[in-house]
Amino acid sequence: MEKITLELLKDAAHRMMFDMSESEYETLLGEFATLTKQMEAIGKIGGLDEYEPMTFPFDVTVDCLREDVPEKPLDKEEALANAGSKLDGQIKLPKVVG
Amino acid sequence: MNFEAVIGLEIHVEMKTASKMFSSAPNSFSTQPNTQVALLDMAYPGTMPLVNKQAVINAIRVCHALHMDIDQLVRFDRKNYFYADLPKGFQITQQFHPIGSEGYLDVEGKDGKLKRIRIERLHMEEDTCKQLHFPDYSLLDYNRAGVPLVEIVSRPDIRDGTEAMHYVENIRNIVVYSLVSDGKMEEGSLRCDVNISLRPYGSDKFGTKVEIKNLNSLKNIEEAIDYEIKRQNALLLSGTPINQETRRFDEASKKTILMRVKTSAVDYKYFPEPNIVPIRLSDSFVEDAISSCPELYEQKKERYLSMGLSKTDAEIILSDLDSASYFEKAAKDAKSAKTVANFLIVEVNGYLNKNAVGLSEFPLPPEKLGEIASLQEDGYTHKQCVDIFNYLLNNDVPVEQARKSLGIEKQVEDLSLMLKAVTEILDANPQSVADFKAGKDRAKGFLIGQIMKQYKGKFNPASLNKMMEEELGKR
Amino acid sequence: MHILDLTILEIHQALVEKRITAKELVLESLRRAKENKDNAFEMITEEEALRQLSELGEVEEDNPLWGIPFCLKDNFSTKGMETTASSNVLNGYTPLYDATVYQKLREKKAILVGKTTLDELAMGGSGTTGHKGKTYNPWDSSHTRQVGGSSCGSAVAVSSGIVPFALGSDTGDSVRKPASLAGLVGMKPSWGRISRYGLFPFAPSLDHVAYFTRSAADSAILLSVLSGRDEHDATSSFKPVEDYPSYIGKPIAGMKIAVLNDVVNTISDKVVLDKFNKSLTELEKLGAKVDRVDFSPELLGAIYAAYMVISCAEATSNDANLDGIKFGPYLGGNTYQEVMSNARTAGFSELIKRRFVIGSFSLMAENQDVLFRRAQRLRAKIVERANQVFEEYDFIFAPAAPSIAPLFSGNSDRLSDEYLIADNHLALGNFGGFPSLTLPLGFEDGMPLGVNFTGRPFEEGKLLAMAEAFESVSGLSGLSVINRKGEKL
Repeated sequence: MEKITLELLKDAAHRMMFDMSESEYETLLGEFATLTKQMEAIGKIGGLDEYEPMTFPFDVTVDCLREDVPEKPLDKEEALANAGSKLDGQIKLPKVVG
Repeated sequence: MNFEAVIGLEIHVEMKTASKMFSSAPNSFSTQPNTQVALLDMAYPGTMPLVNKQAVINAIRVCHALHMDIDQLVRFDRKNYFYADLPKGFQITQQFHPIGSEGYLDVEGKDGKLKRIRIERLHMEEDTCKQLHFPDYSLLDYNRAGVPLVEIVSRPDIRDGTEAMHYVENIRNIVVYSLVSDGKMEEGSLRCDVNISLRPYGSDKFGTKVEIKNLNSLKNIEEAIDYEIKRQNALLLSGTPINQETRRFDEASKKTILMRVKTSAVDYKYFPEPNIVPIRLSDSFVEDAISSCPELYEQKKERYLSMGLSKTDAEIILSDLDSASYFEKAAKDAKSAKTVANFLIVEVNGYLNKNAVGLSEFPLPPEKLGEIASLQEDGYTHKQCVDIFNYLLNNDVPVEQARKSLGIEKQVEDLSLMLKAVTEILDANPQSVADFKAGKDRAKGFLIGQIMKQYKGKFNPASLNKMMEEELGKR
Repeated sequence: MHILDLTILEIHQALVEKRITAKELVLESLRRAKENKDNAFEMITEEEALRQLSELGEVEEDNPLWGIPFCLKDNFSTKGMETTASSNVLNGYTPLYDATVYQKLREKKAILVGKTTLDELAMGGSGTTGHKGKTYNPWDSSHTRQVGGSSCGSAVAVSSGIVPFALGSDTGDSVRKPASLAGLVGMKPSWGRISRYGLFPFAPSLDHVAYFTRSAADSAILLSVLSGRDEHDATSSFKPVEDYPSYIGKPIAGMKIAVLNDVVNTISDKVVLDKFNKSLTELEKLGAKVDRVDFSPELLGAIYAAYMVISCAEATSNDANLDGIKFGPYLGGNTYQEVMSNARTAGFSELIKRRFVIGSFSLMAENQDVLFRRAQRLRAKIVERANQVFEEYDFIFAPAAPSIAPLFSGNSDRLSDEYLIADNHLALGNFGGFPSLTLPLGFEDGMPLGVNFTGRPFEEGKLLAMAEAFESVSGLSGLSVINRKGEKL
């Protein structure tokens, strides 16, 4: 993993579509230092690489799937009721390019 | 230096299931925006994905047709990125464990020979919402959000535009005939992205890859690739390096045009989807999905050939799912599939073209076309049958009634006149008789042709042929 | 003392015997909710409660939830009622559907009186990060102590006597830790036992619907109602729902308890240790077999970091839908990126943003092996170790927290073993999806202390039997601020 810098964190924040104050980036840098130290220590735990990364809390599989039966869709007005920017029954955004 | 093109294709196919990939919203086209939407499609907090059974069945069928290994433990992953058309901020896909892997397709190359194109993977995923762009703003329609997709990724085994076109054509035939998709490229239900690079012959390294997007017809695929090969070839010969970029095909100029230069690859931060527990498909589930799959294009073609159709006729009929289905119904009880095919290709298609309509609007049910074709086998002349056909287009009556109304009667064959004609022609052409005896079948055709010309269709061709063979045999 | 201060079962009895009407009960609950000064509520749902009261009909003797007021953490979807998860990014958001658990409780005719505050988007353990500010521990009238989080408002609502039960969510310990700090029974059943449909996700592989009650018996009643397969949640279990109340009162003789030595060893508070040790003796007297077990300080000490990485990583993805476009405040912008960025920059607090950066960073292709996947491997190893313990023992047992509720001004050493292990070991229950229950142990300086039992997946019945037995040891069933009981330990 490359060295964590303020620039790196700012880039990561911007890629997550938000910005933070300068002081928060400093705090975050400190948090990262702690976390990466802990994660490095974890990396040294014997035999860890023999374990498959765990996604589900226990081994669980199912054999059922949703039947392909359509249900009544949302009422158009209802679907967009929470949207703050609308035009002609659609969500309106600044022109999307690229 | 000589270069060879290295081409890989990524094909996205929209499935025509009844509901969406992970939600129960109807998967049907609507001109009314935001009317085919469920909570999940707009990423309302707390909603969860539920995998569509038919989508999995469809994926299995396509995997099978492409000779792929099927992973019976179905798992999904998240592809994370922000975009205006992506409601959840991630797409659910199968990055780490695609349902299908390591398959192939044999396609016809430029030289007419079959060539094997390996297929790396097939996975299921969901479509994004549709954006409508206006000069100052864009509108979002969520009807398409969540529509089930299969993505099929080939190995870079394709070498030219013709192979690519045939590869896509074959895949389209598979998804159309398995009823997985309507496969309409022009409407975006089958979308094809091309990756293409050039390298010196004999090299096993890859050159810089260019992506071509938005190819909406088979012809465009072929032309775009062949143009792009020429373009890259010229650049390389002049010592100009190829840029890693995305291009589109301009139909008017038949050229590929730069869309954007690729910067560093986007990191999609994939990780396993925690809201879908792995789904274990039983052997019988997979077997049932395969065995219940509608007959595929290639199987139908084989069958049509065995029914006596020519390759060309079979392909014409199979160019469209509706026409294949019409043909099969018409030929079911008919005396000759070949005659049915002739009527379909000439008479029916003639009507459709003239009136600019599709088969769904064609007035004659297939069973009647079958009866008409059978009349011809029974000894009515082709012209008589066409008259009946035309009458039935405007009159919804039984075939037999149409025949009677038109006063059409089978021409009683004057066998003694036919024998006289055959005897005369054989006597007059001893050289042809000798040729026939020497094994030249063409001679028989010549003799029959002479009689047909002289008697102007008075004799049924099948009967005449039979008598000619008998009489030749006696000489 | 008011009937409202009793347990669900006791209130039900009073309703059946007509010692109180549902209306009187709910009105008292609403009155207390309005008077509460601990910042427990995002919204008091008075209108909805009165509407539901008017449709209630006759008392149902076989339905202990009939007419019982309750609260939902404000991260459960409630149709037509604003739900913000205490985040500005969801201000004004009115869901279009009900969470499965809310629907189930409504069908049982329990009555929603309020939606409670939480740490923003359920990410946090202090009860201080929601958009309405700090939530206070009702046991400390001077308002200097935390009640814990993230389900802070629900913990307050039950412990201060507003409702006899409230729902929360538990991703690391978000119900079980506040239960310890507020003197409540906090139940987090097995992963998949209760449908999560309608629970705003934080980290789905760790998220659980969980809840507070004042007794183990009430916890059993609720589990029977809330559990079961839900067609809207593909991760909900098909395992049959048991008659959990039938486990209440079952003897615990012969049950085997593994005391987490590594946790106990890091705790410095003598009162906690003394009471905890006494409880062990009492459990043995009831016939339980109690052993001190070395789990692995190395693994337990690593839980917190692994939890941060996994939960933050999943959260970045789950909360990527919060962009101001479909719901939540739309703040405009010149491009769609600006629209998203404006909504998210203004909508999330700085703590949440820091967590998102940590999560996003952990998922980057070049970092996954040393952050996200490493944390997932550690999770596997820890769960394997827990399962080894469960081969021999029915329960893992330890103090739920190293001390009474911390002061707001308190600053724990985030690298100390006490913090890393004793303050964070409850996430073990989330890592392995184990049923896990916190309940009161006793008091120190008038503030409650708690213990935690964790059992094998889907053995909630046995866990509830043990919890009820423990109540006889602690003497603290039916505890609330108004209804202080005499502790035994």
